[in-house]
Amino acid sequence: MKLRVQLQCKNLHEYLRELSPEILDRLYNHPATCLAVYRELPSLAKNYVMRMLFLDQPLPQAAVALWVKKDSQKDHDECVSVLAGLRLWHCQQLQGGLQGYILNPVFKDNLRIALLGGGRAWADEGSTLGPDRHARDIDSLDRYAMERWEVILHFMVGSPCAAVSQDLAQLLVQAGLMKSEAGEAPYITSAGFQFLLLDTASQLWYFTLQYLKTAQSRGMDLVEILSFLFQLSFSTLGRDYSVEGMSESLLTFLQHLREFGLVFQRKRKSRRYYPTRLAITLAAGVTTSSTSSSSSSSSNLASTPATGDAGFIVVETNYRIYAYTNSELQIALVALFSEMLYRFPNVVVAQVTRESVQQAIANGITAQQIIHFLRTRAHPVMLKQTPVLPPTITDQIRLWELERDRLQFTEGKHAYLCVCVCVCVCVCVCVCVCVCVCVCVCVCVCVCVCVCVCVCVCTSLRNSLEFIDVHG
Amino acid sequence: MASEDEINLLVIVVDVNPIWWGQQAQREPEFTLSKCLDAVMVMGNAHMAMTRTNKLAVIASHCQDSHFLYPSKSWRGGDSGAEDASSSGDGKYELLSIANNLIAEEIRNVMSKTEVRGNSTDTLLAGSLAKALCYINRVSKDNEVGRDTKSRLLVIKAAEDCALQYMNFMNVIFAAQKQNILIDACVLDSDSGLLQQACDITGGLYLKIPQKLALAQYLLWVFLPDSEQRSQLVLPPPAHVDYRAACFCHRNLIEVGYVCSVCLSIFCNFSPICTTCETAFKIQLPQMVKPKKKKLKQST
Repeated sequence: MKLRVQLQCKNLHEYLRELSPEILDRLYNHPATCLAVYRELPSLAKNYVMRMLFLDQPLPQAAVALWVKKDSQKDHDECVSVLAGLRLWHCQQLQGGLQGYILNPVFKDNLRIALLGGGRAWADEGSTLGPDRHARDIDSLDRYAMERWEVILHFMVGSPCAAVSQDLAQLLVQAGLMKSEAGEAPYITSAGFQFLLLDTASQLWYFTLQYLKTAQSRGMDLVEILSFLFQLSFSTLGRDYSVEGMSESLLTFLQHLREFGLVFQRKRKSRRYYPTRLAITLAAGVTTSSTSSSSSSSSNLASTPATGDAGFIVVETNYRIYAYTNSELQIALVALFSEMLYRFPNVVVAQVTRESVQQAIANGITAQQIIHFLRTRAHPVMLKQTPVLPPTITDQIRLWELERDRLQFTEGKHAYLCVCVCVCVCVCVCVCVCVCVCVCVCVCVCVCVCVCVCVCVCTSLRNSLEFIDVHG
Repeated sequence: MASEDEINLLVIVVDVNPIWWGQQAQREPEFTLSKCLDAVMVMGNAHMAMTRTNKLAVIASHCQDSHFLYPSKSWRGGDSGAEDASSSGDGKYELLSIANNLIAEEIRNVMSKTEVRGNSTDTLLAGSLAKALCYINRVSKDNEVGRDTKSRLLVIKAAEDCALQYMNFMNVIFAAQKQNILIDACVLDSDSGLLQQACDITGGLYLKIPQKLALAQYLLWVFLPDSEQRSQLVLPPPAHVDYRAACFCHRNLIEVGYVCSVCLSIFCNFSPICTTCETAFKIQLPQMVKPKKKKLKQST
């Protein structure tokens, strides 16, 4: 009776909402974070912010409510709650006693700076260092980023050639993607398998979230890290930036980013770094990072160069998969849910069978994830047909999943609840019975004693016969 | 997440007619062309900051020609132009500062290099709009498969209408309508009948702003939301549209006129041969004869 662990990817918005108000207020001290937060707002809320950006007085709530038409009042309420939840605006009493809204002044100032300038520079740019003799072009940066990222994935599937630092291995364990037992090398968990099947942008975002969760325990300042991360995601590809003026903890963070492939630094002590495409798409990939992304967004992600290699998988209606790749990692991924038939230098032939799919599902991978994986890595030839994957295959994979799901397990806590309730009821009944017995005994004793006493008294006095009659 | 997938292109056409702006500077020294361009840049920045997929183009419409202010040819060549244009380092998002520097530089070029020759002092608005449509077409063709572009045009109009451009203008409007491109108009000075028709036909917004100094706020308030959000927001009601057409012979705006039955050309006074399609009209004679025939029929 195994309960399935679903990998949950949150988006930036949900993440920010969990942060405490103090941290949020400090976050808005940097223009880059303000811009990133602004971009994550619902489109109606974006317009609200823009309308109020250049106003210094609070606006009456009634006036704001009149901005929308009557039939989209629901959207309006949602926007109001989102903006208040992120502490982007708050209520203020107007002069006439009316309630009004005013934008968070820190956020307002920094968003203005991000849009129109007039503040301090975000980061020292490499120009102060003079031109780089070892300048990198965009292609080599892309290659570098993908290489670094694949090393991590290789490490997860346990390729012998992949080695990562202690910190990273620990992070993977903490994220629940790998498990390690004392003295042994860590091995992958079912959540890890699900993680492997995500597209790069989602993987990156999930990983970053996990990193941020552990950041505070490492003694890093969450606000500092987040600001730097957002600043990185708004930088220009192929330009160098200087590490001048960065604090000690930020420099260690930079080293970690270097290991993930988010930035390129020639040497550990190098005074300049280049953000890679992974870093720049980090904020962009945020919104499409759900595990069950729709077909439109997945095809879009597959076609962006950020995911590195173009599609290489051809799926035929006879359940055969042809994977035109020589990457060990990709072959290992395909092998997660299929049976290998042939291996050639540049192509692998595999077959999807009932057993192999059920094996994968037993490992915690869902049919949806398998289909998503196949669709996002589909060969350009496959992309031309609609639907991309043959419907027979997708349907069959889903049916195989359903075969296993004939028993439906609901949340475990209900079972506990039942037991609890039973125990409670039993205890109650026992207590009741006890109480009853006690009461009965007491009453009997009392009555007896009373009667005895009465009789005694009556007989002894013999004053009024009627009194005894009534009692008798 | 459909909104993340599509590219949202906003093309701003700014009327930089030097004669009108020169007069304006004398009339109201506090609202000049540079103030207007500042407002345009604020609008452009706000649009580009909204999402990563938002794109911007700015076209200056001069007397004789129209120029792309952004993206310009010099920048398109490569990153070499971008590097010296940026690094202003005042906390602005890099992409935006590059765009703003470029716009400022290009407008300086345009205003210093272009001379007003001859006696044509009207803004070449129809030409700029046509250029904008061509640019939109190119951008949507360049797109990857499965990504669609939603485009709209914003005209910031200063000088008077020019009836000479009536034909070209109407053609541009109908082309835009066919491509599902909204045309918005923000009119600074006097109402423009042509733009009113353009906005009405394509479903855009027409607004004559009462206070020129608050241009930036009007732009952000009314013209920043795209068509999806406009259905939710309360916006200024549509203006009364002046649907008068210009005649093909003298380019006068007329209310009643003659229309060629073959090509639908409009004339302010009668001519026996249509100048557009060269149809000869033989209406005069049968009209004279007809009543006689009827009378004959009645009598027989």
